Amino acid sequence: MLFGFTDIIPPLGQAPFEVSAALNEGDVLVVRGPSGAGKTTLLRILARLTSAGSGEVFLQGKNWRDIPATGWRSAVHYMSQRPALFDGTAAANLSKPFELRALSSKKFDSDRAKALLEELLLGPNIWNNDARTLSGGEAARLAFVRALLLEPKVLLLDEPTAALDGKARDAFYRVLGRWLEAGGRTAVLVSHADDYTGIERVCYLDINPERVGNKDAAICNTNL
Amino acid sequence: MQQSVIPISNFQLALTVLLVMFTGGISYLLKLGLLKNLLWGTVRTFVQLTLVGYALTYIFYINNIWLVIAVVTLMCYVAARTAVKRIPDVDSNLTLLAFFSLLSSTYLVGAIVTELIIAPKPWYSARIIIPIFGMILGNSMNGIALALDRLYGEARSRAAEIEALLSFGATPWEAVRSSVQISLRSGMLPTINSMMVVGLVSLPGMMTGQILGGADPREAVRYQIVVQLMVAATVAIGSLIMVGLSYKKLFNKDGALQPFVLQSQK
Repeated sequence: MLFGFTDIIPPLGQAPFEVSAALNEGDVLVVRGPSGAGKTTLLRILARLTSAGSGEVFLQGKNWRDIPATGWRSAVHYMSQRPALFDGTAAANLSKPFELRALSSKKFDSDRAKALLEELLLGPNIWNNDARTLSGGEAARLAFVRALLLEPKVLLLDEPTAALDGKARDAFYRVLGRWLEAGGRTAVLVSHADDYTGIERVCYLDINPERVGNKDAAICNTNL
Repeated sequence: MQQSVIPISNFQLALTVLLVMFTGGISYLLKLGLLKNLLWGTVRTFVQLTLVGYALTYIFYINNIWLVIAVVTLMCYVAARTAVKRIPDVDSNLTLLAFFSLLSSTYLVGAIVTELIIAPKPWYSARIIIPIFGMILGNSMNGIALALDRLYGEARSRAAEIEALLSFGATPWEAVRSSVQISLRSGMLPTINSMMVVGLVSLPGMMTGQILGGADPREAVRYQIVVQLMVAATVAIGSLIMVGLSYKKLFNKDGALQPFVLQSQK
């Protein structure tokens, strides 16, 4: 097991749930459920941006309590449904994380960034565009590239394809699938009705507020 | 050149009520709903200042160092309470931090100004220390209040950016650094702006007071220069300490943003 969580309960005041999952490398966990069920809350808990009511999360066999939160968040990277872009060009947004101390040992690979943008059907022109003027679909893909360049072990993606059209969506899953093949990686995503072409193994976790009290665990299948 | 203060008699003081009638008339005619506050404010102005006049006379007469320290410390505490008033979700810790910031910046700058620059005899002369510390404190309090208000405002409006940085592995400090810069700027900007126009747009209160008291304007100006620079230094030091100590309150022990930063303001 690369990444897993047991009996995660949200903090007080949030719609209640209790969920568990165990993911091996290469797995993608899809979190499903109606609006307001707590899908985003679950992802934020896993990224340690929101405190859990209770429960444990494990990364490579280590309990989250034994890993400092800042290090945890760069290894278990959360990408919000409306990713924040910073003032400056698209390129500046991609290299922004590498200004941080935690990433000082890694170097920003602009060739790799350009190649990923192209695979995600973003033309080379975008490189010098003002990030604040990008469309929703462009911004989502730019943030996805930024997340991949961080090389996290776990990617937490909150509705990453919501702003993408069919072609861009296919490109997204192709890139995600290839990223997972590199080994030692897994992803958790909140998404609605995608067919996940290009992902080898997909697990599902249903959060259903009408079954309060029931514990929900992820079920994994080979994606055919 | 030295003249004495022209005293204001009780009758003359009572004439200032004329001025209150103007203010009240405007409030009444335009239905501003300020009459009650205006009357209460007028009464408080008379009572508070009269009492302070007597208290200062007594304190200057006694001129005891411990009394001076007690008065300045009490002033710092009242200023700290006032500085954090505008911040919602305020806890007593924040007041304590403001108290600490004001105390350290005021005593540091105040000591330099009174002991190195003005150097009164005796060195703890209440007549010098209390007004100087009071001026420092008043400005420092405003600087801290502005910086703190702005820090919380920036954190709220930039919450998404701050969380994105945290998600890259930023420390809380790295994540709020740009908000901290903006809040320090906004704390210090009024003071720096006032240095640009001092003497051109208005004569500062202290200098005006000295001139009305019969001092040579050239002497009054020298005091005002000292005051202007000491205020700038205190505001800078006070806001820096305050922001440096209080930014951590935006985060929980996991270094994630507190829920109140993410929710809309009540």
